[in-house]
This record gives sequence, C-alpha cells and structure tokens, in this order.
Amino acid sequence: MAEVVFSSWGGKVIDNRQGGEPEAAAFKLPGNYLDEGNVSAFMGWDGVIVLDKDVDIVTMAAEYMKRVQEKYCCAKCTPGKRGTRVMMDTLARILAGHGEESDLDTLTGLSDLLDNCKCTLCMTAARPILDTVKYFRDDYMAFLRGERKSKQAKSYRDKLTAPCMDRCPAHIDIPAYIEEIKDYRHDEALGTIRNRMPIPAVCGRVCPHPCETACRRALIDEPVSIMVLKRVASDHELLHVQEPPHKAKEPTGKKIIVVGAGPAGLTCAYYLALQGHKVKIIDMLSEPGGTVAVGIPDYRMPRPLLQREADIISALGVEIEYGVKLGRDVSLRELKEQYDAVFLGTGAFKSKPMGVEGEDEGYAGFSEGGINYLRAVALGEDIVTPKRVIVVGGGNTAIDCVRVALREGCEDSILVYRRTRKEMPAESYEVDDAEEENVQFEFLRNPTRLIVEDNTVVGVEVIKMELGEPDDSVRRRPVEVAGSEYIIPCDMVIPAIGQDPDLSYLEDGDYGIKQTRWSSIVTKGGTMMTDDEGVFAGGDCEYGAMTVVLAVGHGHRAARTMHRYLTEGKAYLDEEDAMEDIVNNLGVFDKTENIGIVGGLHREHQPKIDGAERASNYDEIELAMPESQAVREAERCLRCYRVAMLAVN
Amino acid sequence: MINLKIDGKDVQILSGATILDAAERVGVKIPTLCYLKKVSPTGACRICAVEVEGADKTMTACNTRAVDGMVVTTQSEKLAVIRRQIVELLLVNHPLDCPVCDAGGECELQDICYSQNVVRQPFEADDVNAATIDHWPLIQQVPNRCIMCEKCVKTCHETIGSSALFVNEKGDKAFVDKDLNKCEFCGNCVQVCPTGTMISKPFKFKARPWELRKTPSVCTLCSAQCQVDMHSKQGKVMRVTAEDGTTVNDGNLCVGGFFGHDYLNSDQRLTAPLVAQQETSWETALDKVVTELSSLRDDKGGQAIAGLASPHLTNEENYLFQKLFRVALGSNNIDSEARFSSLRAAKVLHKQLKLSGASNHIDRIGQAEAVLVFGADLRSESQALNWQVQLAARKNDTRLIVANQRQTKLVKQAESFLQYRAGSEAYLAGALAKLLVEKGQADNDFLNSFVTNRAELEAYLNGLDLNAACAATGVNREQLEEAADHLGQAASVAIIFGRDVMGSTQAEASVAALVNLALVSGALQGDCGGLFPIAAKGNTQGLIEVGTAPEFLPGLIDYAAGKEKFAALWQTTLPEGGADATGILDGIEKGTIRALFLAGTNPLVNFPENSRWRKALAKLDILVVQDILASELTEMATVVLPGAATAEKRGSMTSLDRRVNKLRIAVAPPGEARPDLAILSDLFARLTGKSEPSESAIQQEMAGLSTPKQGYAPAEKSLFAATPELTTPEAADLQLLVGKCPFQFGTTTTYSAANHELAPAGLIIINPEDAAKLGVADGGQLKVTGPAGSASGKVMIHAMVPVGLLTAADNFADMNIQQIFPSGSNCVTVTATKA
Repeated sequence: MAEVVFSSWGGKVIDNRQGGEPEAAAFKLPGNYLDEGNVSAFMGWDGVIVLDKDVDIVTMAAEYMKRVQEKYCCAKCTPGKRGTRVMMDTLARILAGHGEESDLDTLTGLSDLLDNCKCTLCMTAARPILDTVKYFRDDYMAFLRGERKSKQAKSYRDKLTAPCMDRCPAHIDIPAYIEEIKDYRHDEALGTIRNRMPIPAVCGRVCPHPCETACRRALIDEPVSIMVLKRVASDHELLHVQEPPHKAKEPTGKKIIVVGAGPAGLTCAYYLALQGHKVKIIDMLSEPGGTVAVGIPDYRMPRPLLQREADIISALGVEIEYGVKLGRDVSLRELKEQYDAVFLGTGAFKSKPMGVEGEDEGYAGFSEGGINYLRAVALGEDIVTPKRVIVVGGGNTAIDCVRVALREGCEDSILVYRRTRKEMPAESYEVDDAEEENVQFEFLRNPTRLIVEDNTVVGVEVIKMELGEPDDSVRRRPVEVAGSEYIIPCDMVIPAIGQDPDLSYLEDGDYGIKQTRWSSIVTKGGTMMTDDEGVFAGGDCEYGAMTVVLAVGHGHRAARTMHRYLTEGKAYLDEEDAMEDIVNNLGVFDKTENIGIVGGLHREHQPKIDGAERASNYDEIELAMPESQAVREAERCLRCYRVAMLAVN
Repeated sequence: MINLKIDGKDVQILSGATILDAAERVGVKIPTLCYLKKVSPTGACRICAVEVEGADKTMTACNTRAVDGMVVTTQSEKLAVIRRQIVELLLVNHPLDCPVCDAGGECELQDICYSQNVVRQPFEADDVNAATIDHWPLIQQVPNRCIMCEKCVKTCHETIGSSALFVNEKGDKAFVDKDLNKCEFCGNCVQVCPTGTMISKPFKFKARPWELRKTPSVCTLCSAQCQVDMHSKQGKVMRVTAEDGTTVNDGNLCVGGFFGHDYLNSDQRLTAPLVAQQETSWETALDKVVTELSSLRDDKGGQAIAGLASPHLTNEENYLFQKLFRVALGSNNIDSEARFSSLRAAKVLHKQLKLSGASNHIDRIGQAEAVLVFGADLRSESQALNWQVQLAARKNDTRLIVANQRQTKLVKQAESFLQYRAGSEAYLAGALAKLLVEKGQADNDFLNSFVTNRAELEAYLNGLDLNAACAATGVNREQLEEAADHLGQAASVAIIFGRDVMGSTQAEASVAALVNLALVSGALQGDCGGLFPIAAKGNTQGLIEVGTAPEFLPGLIDYAAGKEKFAALWQTTLPEGGADATGILDGIEKGTIRALFLAGTNPLVNFPENSRWRKALAKLDILVVQDILASELTEMATVVLPGAATAEKRGSMTSLDRRVNKLRIAVAPPGEARPDLAILSDLFARLTGKSEPSESAIQQEMAGLSTPKQGYAPAEKSLFAATPELTTPEAADLQLLVGKCPFQFGTTTTYSAANHELAPAGLIIINPEDAAKLGVADGGQLKVTGPAGSASGKVMIHAMVPVGLLTAADNFADMNIQQIFPSGSNCVTVTATKA
C-alpha cells in the first residue's frame, strides 16, 4: 500500500505534504492501477487522497468535474445539471489562467447549493472539489496568478457507483432500476437488471440481498426492499406476456463450453451468447438451475420460473445438454480440445461431514446431507421422510430441510444448532417463516453421537453448549457444557452444515489448475481465469458455497474476460472491471454517515400466504407485490450515486 | 391520518400525502415549477425545497411524503437564497428570446423568476447552444429553452401511454428527444411545457396569449367529448387547450382536440347557399327546398321524402330534424349512419338493460380493478378512454384484458390478450361468462337482485361448449381461463367495446353476449367500472337518443307505441311506416323516394356499399345537403345549405357516457353560413306555417321527453339476459376489417392541414407474410375486392395484423374503403392483388 501524502477521506485530514510520519491509512487503495502505472491520487464522494506529491490536484479536480458533468450527470435536477456545469467551466477557466479569486467562492458556494440536489451524484461530487479549494488553495492561487501550467496525469480512471450497487456482487445499477420502477417503466427496469443479471426472477426471490445491508435509507429508517423490486420488474414481464427484447450480436465463430447450468454457468452463457459466441452448457442434472433448482424448495423458488429464465437464455442460441457430468461422461481435456474456452461453474454440492461418531456407517435414517435430501425431494426420488426428523445446522440449507421435511409428511421437524438463533447464518425472515410453520428449534445443542438400533437411526445424542468469546467469524464461539449430554429420539438425521465443491474431475490429468485448501478453484486477479489458459471458473466451485448473486457476478465477469480472451487473445480487466474492484475494495457504504434528511417511512412488504396454510404444499409463499406498492417503495430510494476517479502516473 | 406542522399551522392529512399536499390543505403556498399533479412527482427543479426539523439538508415538498410529527418551514432566508440561486442556475445561458418565444406571457419560468426576485446572473458557463429540433411533424423542440422538468416526458409515458419522449445525453447537453414511431402527436407535451421548449408548429407566431379570447366548450370530434378551451383571434380558432384538474379529460387532449381544429379555417368551407351549384341567397335556397319538398309531400305523400341526420349536429338540431320530417313533411323515413353500428348496440342495450349508452362515467374506468377492452382500438377510437385505461393499468394495479383481432397498442400492457377471429365475438364473451359462473366468480347478488331470467342465462351458459368456443374464436382454453380469472377476481369490472363489435354482421349477438358478461361479472354494479360502448362519432349518442330512426321517437320510445302520445304533443298526426337507411336506399333505387335531405352526413364515404348510394343519389329529384365542407356530395346536391361547425354554434351534445355538454360559440360561421338549428327552424316555420321554434322552446320540449341522463340505477328485476346465437366463423383466406385512422376523425379532419400532414391518405395494413405472398412492398399499392366492390390504397406492412387479415381506415374519400362493404358488415372476405 502506498504512502499517503494527503487525505481528507471521510473527513479525517492527513497532511504529510510538508513531511511527517507516514501513518496507516484507514482505506484500502492500491499503489498501482493494473500494469498501467502508479496511483497518484484518488477523488470521490468522501474527499481527496493524494499518494504522489507531484500530482496536479487542480487539474485533477477540473477533470473530475468534467467527467461528472459530461459523462455521469443525469441532468434530472437543476443544481446537478447546471451547478456542475458552472463548476466545470469555472475550473476550466482557472486552469487556462483566466480565473479570478472570486471563482473559488463560486466553487464553494455551489458546493453548498448542490446539497439540494435530487440525488447524491453531483452532491457528493462537490465534496472533493470543496476539499481541494480548502486544502490546496495555494495551488489554485498559483493558477490564478498565472504561475502554473496545467499538468495532466498519464491517465484518469473513473467509476460510477453507489453503496448498494457496489455491495451487490453482480454490481447491478440498482438506483437506475429503482428509479425506472418509480417512473412506471418496469420493462426498462428489467432491462437495467438484465445488463448485469440474466436471472432476475431468481434473484428477485432468493437473493440474500447484501445490497440492502449497504442501503443508506436504513440510516434514516429502513433499507429499501431492493430484492423485491427486482422481482416486481421481472413479474411485470411475465404477467404481461412479454418477451425480452435482447438480440445476440453477429456470430463470432467461437465455441465455448460451460459446465454447469447453475447461476454462474447460465449467466456466463447468456453474456457470451449476447456477444455472438456459440455456447453450449452441459449439466449433470435433468433441468436447469443447479443448486437453485434442486437445493431451494419450490415454495421459495418455483422451478417453472427458473425454467423460463433458462429458456430465455436458450433463445439466444445457447444449447443446454442435460445428464452430462464432467469427469464421468466427458473429461476436461476433451472439452478443452473441442472448444475455444471452458467455463467451470460446477457448484458446491458435496455435504460436509458433521464429525460425529457413526456418520459414515451407512445407517438407515441417516441422510448424506441436507443438500442431498433437498435434491432427492426436488427430483422426486424414492425417498421417505419419517415422522420425526432432526436437521443439524443453522444455515439456509438447514432451514430449507426442516421446512421441506414438514411438507413431506414429517410431524416433528427439529432443527439442532450449536449457537443461538441470533448467530444463525440463515436469513432471519426464513427462520421466522419456519417457526410459523411449527418447526421446532433446539438451540445451543451439538450432536455428539448417533443412536442406532438394528442399523437404523433412532436418535441423536446431543450436548448442551454455551456461548464463549467471539471467534474468527466474530460470532461467539460455542463451548460444550461438560456432562450435559442427552438423547433426542428421531427417525432421521440430516446434517446440513455446509457444502464443498467436488473437483474430482480435475484428477484425470494435470491441468495446472490450483485449488485452495477448501477444495475450491483458484482464479487470477479478478479475471476468473484459472492457471490453465482458456479455462475459467466461477460461482461456488471457485469461491466455496456462497450465494446465487455472487455466482451471477462471477459469471458476468468471466463472460467479459472470456470475450476478450476469445477476441483479443488475452483475458484482462478493463477500466470498468478494474475500477469496480478498486472501489469495492475501498468500500462505498459508510454506516456512520449523517444523511442529513429525515426518514420515517416504513419499508413495503409483499403479501404472504399464512403459515399454517402453506406448510402443507410447495406453492410459492411470497406473493407478487402490487405495482402501486412497488412504486411507493421505490420512492424511498435516495439514489446514492457517486463518482470515483483515479489519477495514474 | 397523520399530523404535522407547516409554518406553525397544524395539518391533518391521510398517510401517503406529500408535504406539498399537506401545505395545500392549509393554504400554505410553496413555489413549484416541475410539479404537475397528474403525473408522478419528479423533484427536478428543487424549487419547492423546504426545511424539515431534524434534517440538515432541505427536502423537496413535491416528492417527500409527510410523516407524523413532522415540523416543516416553507419560508426562510435560507430557503429564499436557495430558491433564488436555483432559478439563477436555470437561467444560465437561457436564451433571451422571450419577445418572440411562444410561451412569452404564459411562461412559468418567467413567473418563477418574478416571484423569487431573480434579478441578476452571478453564474457563468459556456453556452451549449443546442440546435432546435425542427424535423418532427407538428411539434418543434427548442432545447435551449428547456428546464428539464420532464413534465412532457412523464405525461407522454404515464398519462398518454405513448412513451415517445425520453431524456437523451448527459449533463448540460441533455435534452428531451423523441422516438417518432411512438408519438401520437397529441400535443400534450406542448400543453404541459412550462416554457417555450415544446411548440405547436401550426400555432407558432400566430398570436400572443393575451390576444386570444378563450371560450370553454367541448371537442366534438369523438364521442368522449373532452372539455376544451377554444382560443380565438380575429374570428379564427387559433388553438385549443384543456385545463388540468377541472375537466373530465384532466387537461389531456388527443391529436384531434389539439391539432384537428384547422378544418374550421379550411378554404373548402361552404360560405353561401347553392342552388344548382350557383351561389344564391338564403331566401332563394330555402324557398327552393320548401317548394320542392312540399310539392312532393302534397303530390306523392311524405313517404317520398327521406332524411339522414348526423352525429355532427347538436341534440336540438337532430331533434328538430326528426320533428321536421315527422311533423312538417309527414315522413318517418329518417335515419342516420348510427344504423350501421352504434344504433345496433343501443337497441340491444335498451332491450336488455334499459340503457342506450355507457352505464357509468368515463372516469370510473380508471378506478376499476379489471378492464376488458373488447373489439376496440382505443388508440384510434377513443384516446380519452385510453387515458383511463393507462391510469388503471399503470397506476391502479388494474388487470387489463384485451380482446381483439389485431395486436392493438394496448396489448403490450395487457395481462391477457385474446386474439379472436372475426365473427366469434359472441362465443368469446359467452365463454368468459360461462367460466365466471363455473368458477363461482359470478356476481350472484347482482344477478339475483336485478336479472329477471337468471335461470335462463345459466341454462344458456351451461349449454355453451367451451371446446367449441375455443375452436370458433381461435383462443386457447388456458388464455380463456386466465382472462376469466382476472375478471372474476376483480371487485369491479369495466367492459369497453367498440366498432369492431358494433359494426360487424353479428353485432346484435355480440353486444348481447357482452351484456350477459357485464351482468355476470358485476360490471353494472357499484361505483367503479361499468359497460362502455364507444359511440362512433361526436354526437352519435345524442343522435340516437333524440329519435332519429324510424323505429324510435325521442327518448328511445318505440315508434308504434309512442306515436299517439307524440302526435298529441306535437298537435299533428304522425306518419305510418318509415324506412331506415337501407330502406331509404332501396326506396331511392325503386323510385318511391324522390327527395333526400342530408343534414351533416355523407353517404358517399361513411356508408357501406356507397357505390350503390352514389348511383342512387343521382336518381333523386331533389337532394338537399346541409353541411360545412365542400365535397363530392355537395357537388351532386340540388341545394346546398352551409351550416356551422360546433365551434360556431350553441347547443348540447351527449357524450358516450351520456354527459350532456354545452357548446359555446368561439367564432362566427364563415360567410353566409348559419347555425344548423337556425336553418332547420326556418325550414320548419316555412313548411308548417308556424312561427320559428326558438332554441329555448326546443330545449324545453326536449327536457320534458328525454330519458334521465345522469346515473344509471336500474330497478330490481328489471334487466334481461339474452341467449344470443353462437356462430363459428367460416374459414377465409383473407379478410379486411375496416376501422378508423388514429390521426383522423371522420372525414372532417382530412380538411385540417395538421392531420393531413400526419395521415394524408388511407393505408391498407397487411401482415409481412401476406405481403410477401402478394408480392407487395411497403408503400406499394394494393387493390382489394369485397362483396360490394373494390378499392385501392397504399400498403403498410406491419405485424400488428395477423396473417389473413387486412385493415383499412374509412376516413379517406380517395380510398373510400367502405365501398367494398355490404351494409351491416365491417369485416369481409376479400381478394387482393398488387395494383
């Protein structure tokens, strides 16, 4: 990390221009920009950071404001549209040596006026300008006196972002689609979403929506219901029997194989197909969606909708062949020979062991794992769910298992978790849902032993736990209470404590593909390319079991770099990708920010089928939000756009 | 309810209201510029910034929802500075062409500068100086004057549903651009523009706003009858506008209302009476009419004389016209073009529902939970209804079902699209009714209380075979069920039907089936929704209600039954028999009818099988044409009586939803032309020897006769379900459906330069597949031959029509598509060849 010469970032001023002790900066900014050069300064919503004392900060300020005005300002409010224009021209005048000292007052005054903007794009863009006028006045004066000539950096790199958009692993332009919903332009909203995510019906339903944890609205009342608004846009198309307007570009003649029709694979295939590449997907299952299809029950994610998403992707010319498993029916070597590039989106579906005695004995009534149980039910396999079922774990899969078990006829569906409800990684609303459906919870219990009679599970011995000091994951570590073991009788035990990727398909040769110690694939520098040139990977097989939206983000990024690999022979990051990662690393959301306006508006919720009624079937629980309600919710969005810019030397 | 404080005043208001709403409630005036009540708030100008306790920054009143306990300050030194500076920014590089700007004198930017005391310009920037956009038809865009309030963009999208306008470019270069293919040229962008950015080319440089005299009246180009203001200068209507908030159309106008008035100033206007095509005095002309008609009456009897009334005339004029015939000429040979469509629907509605038009006001459509648009192209037939559907579908979560033979513009907004085959309308409506009953979603309370023959209806629906319905309509079962679910789940239903239904061979059966559906779905019950037949033209509804048909007396009273009563009232004996339009045509051909009086109607273009009419008219002893525009018809007339357009006379007109609207005189008729009522009164006096009936005397007489106009409230057990015959249409290779051009209104606006610019000639719209088959290119000529004749026109290739269907509009005298249609049909089998 580079040494900080000056920083006003976040309102904390570090000034080492006259020398001084370098101090560890609170922000993460890279010392260099790709292989283009050193990062000499950074400007953005929270101030100015100077890493190279020779950078011409006035010239940079002028360039920043020019980009804000000409490239990003939406023109949809007066102070933003005209105010940044006046600031841009004022700065240009100063650079040209025609400025006057009163121009600095104009810049300061306009910075204040921009506080009245419709959104935060121009409003926050005034901040670094104000800081330069305040802390680099001498530099301005040098220009005003005609003593200095403008010195452009080697290059400037910019990025439009927003806290939600940055936090979303797929980096959807969230403020844009919310504004489009607010303006009753649902089809355009869906178009905006599809620029980054081809499975909005899925991510409008089962996304853990990390974006909402970075929603500034939460700082004045509650976060905007970003995920549900995505579903509204997607439902609108479906309800109005419309087809997406997308068309693939002219064929390039390049052939790509995508392994896995899960979210990562479907996404990668979609964006490659749009570019005109010929894409084929192979999948070991008999339907699209991977873990979304067979790991998420239909009451949360109806599979016909998933099938529709896949059909839309297929309509672009993507061929999907089901029932083909990599490593079993075809080898990676063969794929590499037959195709111009390979994308591995093979997921993570191997259940982690519980680590208790007897779990690998093959007892009747012991399930291999939660994900296996869900898949067997989803595929309609011959599986009987008995009266009393214990599911071990605290994640979404565990919750899905206890709820599915109820729907499969079990009377007592019991979840055993070693911490308390508060520490459960599952979505809290899903835990509520499970509770409403009469799932029983045994918190602060950990299985120690299976109780077996005639090779059949009849119970689980558990030990009581209590919470100790926080561990690496910042959650409090559960500690066993000595001698507190007791037995919970049951007919079936389902461990649901996580999944690992199954990378056995790499074992038939030396591909040079590196793996982490958690059996996930290593890719390089955000390009999603493995160490085996032309082989890319993304989603759970690359990251470990994570979220649908992360897989979508990977699939999208991979499609971009693969396109460059296929057309230019090199997989690299462009300005958008690189700046996306730099800004993401720096962080955009500041939970301590004073927003400066008052809230008081509650988040809108979609209607839901009653707990008792729904637990007997697989009908979708959450009902479509009426569009008028969605518009009301969209009105709560604060449009927290902001622009970042790097100077590279 | 929530409570807040604004400038020290306590306000109580419904949750969901904005600060601006709350301020308005207690009379606190917050300055606004981009705010437009009928569209969603934009928050663009920031001038309505207010201070809210607890907020460091200002918040905008127009788009911030009021919250319980809020304390708001709307006037302060800080706010005054902010508002002033914002306006100063708006004025950066704003052109100083106010003296010649079209908005000068009615510019909201001028007003806000004045009210915010903006007297200097501290800001400076290079001038973007964007070029004026002049290549759009009828509308000019001057980006330099634009303040980016987006009122035009939002109105275009939210209210009109065109979505043609959008913001292009970024930053200071941003401007409002247009996708011309989507534009309806309704001029609402011009109307809502607060500055001189969006300009009407026909109006530009014609007048300063303060020179114009504003006359509130109604637009009579279609049966929705929007409330308008006619702006006149030196005896000419210069422009037409409408006011937001206070009008039934909420300030919206369509291409007809906004641009279509130019026919008033056409050089084809009739300005003097003609006898034998020579200009003459009124005395001579009227004397000629009276002499000829009275001698024929005395010689051959009244049955030798016939008259056709008009939807362009007022209620009083049509009333007097029928009275003139029945009383003064002893003839019941009186009819109108409503015979071919609207009257057919009205007769069914009257029989089953005691109703002659819509059951509810237009503005109740927007509040319905489900809307079914059946056999109507709202884009062409009624923009006013389209605006209601836009409101419903876009903002009120209404389920929209479109049933049509072709892909109308509304289809993309519909949850269900039932694309049926011509002739299967009754089957389609019947199947929907059956499904509602089957699914237990029928409005049983309404059926039990109001319908006399519920059992008969249920037996009929029971016997309706859904598979046969699917086969007949070409709509699959799944689509039918889905549409029925939308209707069934809605607490209120609006059913709109149009000319495809009312003009078809099976019009009576189709309307009866739709009435059944209205009964079953509860459309006739409650405050929202209703049944809405789209009457064909301006005053078609009034025309029907005043008894301009041989079988009806005023108030839709059966002629035979009411004859004695009216004879007593009118102190005369009334003639027997009476021929309708078809009978009149036959009579002329047979020579039994020798004289025809056409009051504001032209059978040569608007009537089916008009080649027959053309020949027949030539056989008459006397043809009297009372009209406002010269045409092929006036050239055939023995006597031409120049009448007045609706902007030039007083009187009342009845809209499709049975509102009775008053016309007011904006300008005088041209030359010697007279209001039609004056002409008819004069004739009445001359023919009867009585004094001329005055306008007020006629109105008084009518008031005693007419059915109640407002509020449909049927008595218990007074409604009837019908058992219309269900027919499966025969297969046809190629059919032609006649409709209306979206940019033209009857033939009247073909005399308006603006409408002519948009639609100079009729088009035959054809599916790409059929075009390829026939080897005809876009813009090429096609000749179509139907049962009654042939017509040729320019081809437009578009997939909105399905394979096997052509459509054409009947507004154009040149193409004259009606000549291929036999009477009582609007979709016929045709052969087509490249011409």
